[in-house]
Amino acid sequence: MNEPVHLQGGTSQILVMGLSHRTAPVAVRERVAFAEPRIPAALQTLREAHIAEEAVILSTCNRVEIYVATRLPADLAFQDLEEFLGRCHDYRDPLTDHLYRFTEPRSVEHLFRVACGLDSMVLGETEILGQLKDAYELARRRGFTGPRLNKAFQKAFHVAKQVRTETLIQRGSTSVANVAVELAERLFSSLRPCTVLVIGAGDTSEKVARALVSRGAGRLWVTNRTHERAEALAASLGGQAIRFEEWPTAFAQIDIVISSTASPTPLLDRARLERWMRHRSRRPLLLIDIAVPRDIDTSVNELDDVYLYNVDDLQAIADDYVRQRQAEVARCESLIREKVRAFLQPPQRPAPPGDPAPSHA
Amino acid sequence: MNPWTDRHWFLLAVLAYGAATLWSVFLWRRGFRRHDWINYTILAVGFLFHTWALLRRGMSLQHCPVRNLFEATAFVGWSLMVAYLVFGLWPRMRFLGVLVAPLQLALGVFALMPALDTPSGPIVQTDRVLESLHAATALLAYGAFGLGAVAAGLYLVQAHDLKLRKLRAVMALLPPIERLERVARRLAQTGWLLLGLSLALGSRLTPPPGTYFAGDPKVVWSALLWIGYATLLVWHWRGLSSRRFAWGLVGVFAFVLLTFWWTNLLSPLHHP
Repeated sequence: MNEPVHLQGGTSQILVMGLSHRTAPVAVRERVAFAEPRIPAALQTLREAHIAEEAVILSTCNRVEIYVATRLPADLAFQDLEEFLGRCHDYRDPLTDHLYRFTEPRSVEHLFRVACGLDSMVLGETEILGQLKDAYELARRRGFTGPRLNKAFQKAFHVAKQVRTETLIQRGSTSVANVAVELAERLFSSLRPCTVLVIGAGDTSEKVARALVSRGAGRLWVTNRTHERAEALAASLGGQAIRFEEWPTAFAQIDIVISSTASPTPLLDRARLERWMRHRSRRPLLLIDIAVPRDIDTSVNELDDVYLYNVDDLQAIADDYVRQRQAEVARCESLIREKVRAFLQPPQRPAPPGDPAPSHA
Repeated sequence: MNPWTDRHWFLLAVLAYGAATLWSVFLWRRGFRRHDWINYTILAVGFLFHTWALLRRGMSLQHCPVRNLFEATAFVGWSLMVAYLVFGLWPRMRFLGVLVAPLQLALGVFALMPALDTPSGPIVQTDRVLESLHAATALLAYGAFGLGAVAAGLYLVQAHDLKLRKLRAVMALLPPIERLERVARRLAQTGWLLLGLSLALGSRLTPPPGTYFAGDPKVVWSALLWIGYATLLVWHWRGLSSRRFAWGLVGVFAFVLLTFWWTNLLSPLHHP
C-alpha cells in the first residue's frame, strides 16, 4: 500500500470499486468477500490509512463493492483500494481484470442501479436493496459515513422505491415456485385457510410447497407411494404425511394440489375429478402438475372452478416476466440518469438582492 | 331566481362521470395499476353533484324523487354510487370504479333525455313516507344488483384469463377470483333482501283508484326478478359453479336494464 497521502482540498468525490457476478467467478468472489463482523474493522482501516473519509462496504454472494467519499485523486484512491482489498483477504493474485472502478457520475449511477436491482443476477430482484440498506446502516451506525455518502445512499433508496412503483422491473416472479404462489394468490383471497396436497416427493414440488408455506398456506399434506419419503418431506416442510391410498378420500378439503409422481398413467382424470368436485362447495381448485409424464389429464381444465397448470405453463409465465423486466430496463435507466444528474448538480445559490439577472448574451 | 335547476346539477354530475370514464380508459390501458384514487375522487365529486341534484328535486316535490324515468334512472345511478363509494373505501375494491364510471355516464346521458323528465302525476298516496321507502329500497336493490353484476363480470374476465393461462391473469391487480365471487354473491344477497323489503312495503300501500296489484306488469316483473335472484342464490348454494353463477348475475342484471323502463311505463299502478 502507498504511504498515507494527505487529503487534497476541495470537495470529496464518490468512488466505487468492486467485483460482481458479471466480472468475477464465484471462486474469486468468495475469496474477497467480507464477513459482516469484519466490516467495521475494514472500514476503520480505510479511514486510518486516509484512503477515504467516508466508506461503505457491500458484500453479498454476488458482489463485493467498496463505496468511498474521498479527496484523493481517483487513480491513487483506486490503487489504494485494490491493495487494501488484496491485503484484507491475503489475496495475492492480480484482481485488476475482475475489478470495476467508477468515478462520478458513473459511481453514483452504479449505486442507483444496484439499489434498483438492475445489476443483479435476477434482474429487478429486491433482496439487494435490503442488503444495501444493511451495509449502509452498519457503516452509518459506526460513524463511517458522512454528508456525501449519506445523501447518496438515501437518494439511492428513494430512487429504488420510485423505480419499483413507476416501472414493471420488479413485477412478477421469475422462478417456477414463485409463479405457482402468485397463481394461488390470484385464486384465493388468503392462503391461510388453504390446504395444500403434495403428491410425490420431487425437488420442484418441494420448492413449490415450501414457497406456498412461506406465503402462509395453512395446512400441508404430503403423500407418496413410499410413506417414509412422504413423512420425511412433510417433516421438513412442517406438514403432515398421509398414506397414498388415503388422499382421494381427503380430496374435498384440498385447495391446491402439487403433483410430481413417476406414475406412467394419469392419477387424476376428468371423470374422477368431476365426481369429487361435487363434494366441494364452489371453491376454486388449483392443480399444479410438475410430473413428466403428466399426472393430471389436461381435460380437467375444462371443468368449472378447476385451474390446471403444468411445469411448462409455469415456466412460460416466468419467462414472460423476465422478458417484461428486460423491456423495462431502458425506462429504469433513463429515470436513474435523470436522478443522477439532479443529485450531482450543485445547489443553486439565491442571487443577492439587487444583483442583475445573469446575462445570456 | 336561481337559474341552476336540479337538472343542471345533475348535468355537472354526468360531466364528472364522463371525466372519470376518460380516466378509466387510461387505467384500462395501464392495467389498473396506478392512480385509482384519482378515479375514486372524480366519481366522489360527481356523486356530490348527483346527491345535490336529487336532494333539490326531492325537496321541491316533497317526496323521494322516483316518479318518472329521469328520477328513477338518476336514483338507480345514485344508489350504485353509494354502493361503490362504500366498497371503494377498501383500496382493493376501488378498481370497480373503472367499470362504474362508464355505467354512470351511460345512465346519466340516458336520464338527461328530455322526454324522460315528464311532470309527475298527482300524488294519490296518503302515506308518502311509505311510498318513498318502497321506491328507495327498490332502487337501492337495483344498485346492489348492478354492482354485483360488475363484480361478476370481473370474475368472468379473470377466470377466463386464468383458464387460458395468460400472463395478464397473474399480473392483473384485480382481487382474487374467490373474493370477486364473494363480493358478487353478497351484493346479490343484499339486493335480494332490499327488493324483498321493497315489495313488502309496496304491498302495504293503497293502490290508486282503478288499479290493482294483481297482474300489474311492474309488480309481476319485480316478483319474477325476486324469484330469479332467489333461484340463482339457492342454486349456487347447492353447488352451481361460480362461473355459471357469475354469468347468471350478469344475465339477470342485463334483463333488468333492458326491461325496467318498459315495465315501468306499462304499469298502471306506477302511472295512474
